[in-house]
Amino acid sequence: MILNRRSLMTTALTLGAMKAFPGLSFAQARPLVFATFTGSWEEAHKAVLVPAFRKANADAAIVLDPMLSVDQIAKVNAAKANPPIDVMLHDPGPALVAIGQDLVEPYPVEKSAYYKDLIAEAQEPMGPAPFFQVVGLTYNPEAVKTPPTSWADLWKPEFKGRVGITNLNSTLGTGWLVEIAKMRGGSEANVDPAFKALEELKPNLAAVAANPGALATLFQQGQIDISPGNFNAIQILKARGVPVEFVAPKEGAIAFKTTIHIVKNSPNRELAFKLIEAALTPEVQTTLMKPPYLIVPTNSKVAMGGEIARVLAKDTAELKKKFVFQDWKKINEQRSAWIERFNREIKI
Amino acid sequence: MGAAPASRDVTSYGMGLAAPLALFFLLFFVAPLLQLFWLSLHNDTAGLHWGLGQYLHFLTDPFSLGVLGSTLLLGAEVTAVCLVLGFPIAWLYQRVGPKLQTVIILIVLLPLLTSVVVRTFAWIVILGRQGIINATLQSLGVIDTPLKLLYTQFGVVIALAQVQMPLMTLPLITALGRIDPNLDDASCSLGAGSWRTFFRIVLPLSLPGVIAGCTLTYAAAITAFITQSLVGGGQMLFMPMYLYQQASTLQNWPFAAAISIIFLLAVLAVVSVFTTLGRLSRGYGGA
Repeated sequence: MILNRRSLMTTALTLGAMKAFPGLSFAQARPLVFATFTGSWEEAHKAVLVPAFRKANADAAIVLDPMLSVDQIAKVNAAKANPPIDVMLHDPGPALVAIGQDLVEPYPVEKSAYYKDLIAEAQEPMGPAPFFQVVGLTYNPEAVKTPPTSWADLWKPEFKGRVGITNLNSTLGTGWLVEIAKMRGGSEANVDPAFKALEELKPNLAAVAANPGALATLFQQGQIDISPGNFNAIQILKARGVPVEFVAPKEGAIAFKTTIHIVKNSPNRELAFKLIEAALTPEVQTTLMKPPYLIVPTNSKVAMGGEIARVLAKDTAELKKKFVFQDWKKINEQRSAWIERFNREIKI
Repeated sequence: MGAAPASRDVTSYGMGLAAPLALFFLLFFVAPLLQLFWLSLHNDTAGLHWGLGQYLHFLTDPFSLGVLGSTLLLGAEVTAVCLVLGFPIAWLYQRVGPKLQTVIILIVLLPLLTSVVVRTFAWIVILGRQGIINATLQSLGVIDTPLKLLYTQFGVVIALAQVQMPLMTLPLITALGRIDPNLDDASCSLGAGSWRTFFRIVLPLSLPGVIAGCTLTYAAAITAFITQSLVGGGQMLFMPMYLYQQASTLQNWPFAAAISIIFLLAVLAVVSVFTTLGRLSRGYGGA
């Protein structure tokens, strides 16, 4: 039912584009299709990235087709020779899967004007990272008087029955588990300590959400007071008047690279490259850093400002110090086993 | 030759009319289903090695069987709640004036007019810690600390029962409407009490409606991915979420395909039990 409006819009846009550019239907089979994420990502890309791209490329036709990373992979996989998507957006785990399954093209680095300006962590030859997602602690300041400072605070007895987490289906859930493992002496290859820690967390657990989006609802309903959470998601809640705050734990906020890729065999290769270039420009990244989007930039020429400078990092040097990047290659190796184990062990 | 159309048997109908739908089903239902089945017969995620490994994995794994069991049980619970709550409404519908009938049918249909997502979110608001139920009980002084209702089996059953209620009530209303009201009077005048009349006359005669309602509610309840995951949360695993996890997050398509086939067979088994009961009841009702 949610999809109806969207697919209608897509169809209408496509038809409109084909009407506006009659040559299009012959020269190219379809407009550039950019699979962004749903929700705030889609809004941000529709409002900032797409206009910037169209302005720089003579109003080239583009369609946003928002879906989860895993669904993007499934769709491209189902039609490798003639993919229905030209540009994919991925969290670190799915990005490696897409690369491993040979679904993406290497980024034409030598042609790119902005690639070299990206901070080192964002320079990925198979698809650069135009944005970071940041995961830290979120809490309800009305119920939690002293702001938490560490992941370990979730285990405090005062939060009995007030903690929310998500299961490992999401990047957030899996990344958080790895961070807990590291805190207890484990690593990306060994999350046993984290599962032991989860066992101890059970009295505090009020909810295990099926996805990170559900955590927002739980905060709104007063079902939980503290949880690991995504910086951007929290800003949106805050803007709607929900009492939530974000804090980067002293162990470091978890940073996920959101990478953007040209799909292999895309009929719109050149435009796909242009779209990614637009996403890397300081202009687009600066606009996206401002409210209401508050997306962490990766171009080192962008000066950090506003809420991001206040809560996360003043510049790229501090960002590198305060952010923790995880080894998703290692994580992917065992992720399915962890999900299985989580399914079995975490019952509250 | 020319006489052939004239001698056509007027009591039989050509199957030609059903052809468009049949073709549609063949293309968009049977073909993908066969593809799914074909995929489930592979032991590796790339789909290169044939074998029954996925089925063996599921059927020998107590955890997976537990997920299947709890899903089938959830369906039974929701169906029971719907039946117990829906039957009186349907019964009432047949015994009130036309104005009230319109009101009842509106109330019954109302849930169908809003999206499942909206209805489910309403249940989150109702069942939450600061939700309507907890707030009322607390202000009445019945409880001190809020009850945990959201993210529990109880919550899922209640929410699903409301969401799927029309599927139960509508067939019941139809079935009860077909019963001749004189039968009630006849039963009473022959000395049967109202309970006896209900159990010996009304219930048996309404069984086809009960069976139809139960089948619909059951099938809808166990496959209700949205309500199950939003009200049940991430720690309660039912078959639809298990399937989604394997197919989407883990990209383990052969196992996901095997789960679907097993789930499909399990549901078909339950539904065929319902239909068998329905066939038996027809004999009973006619006697």
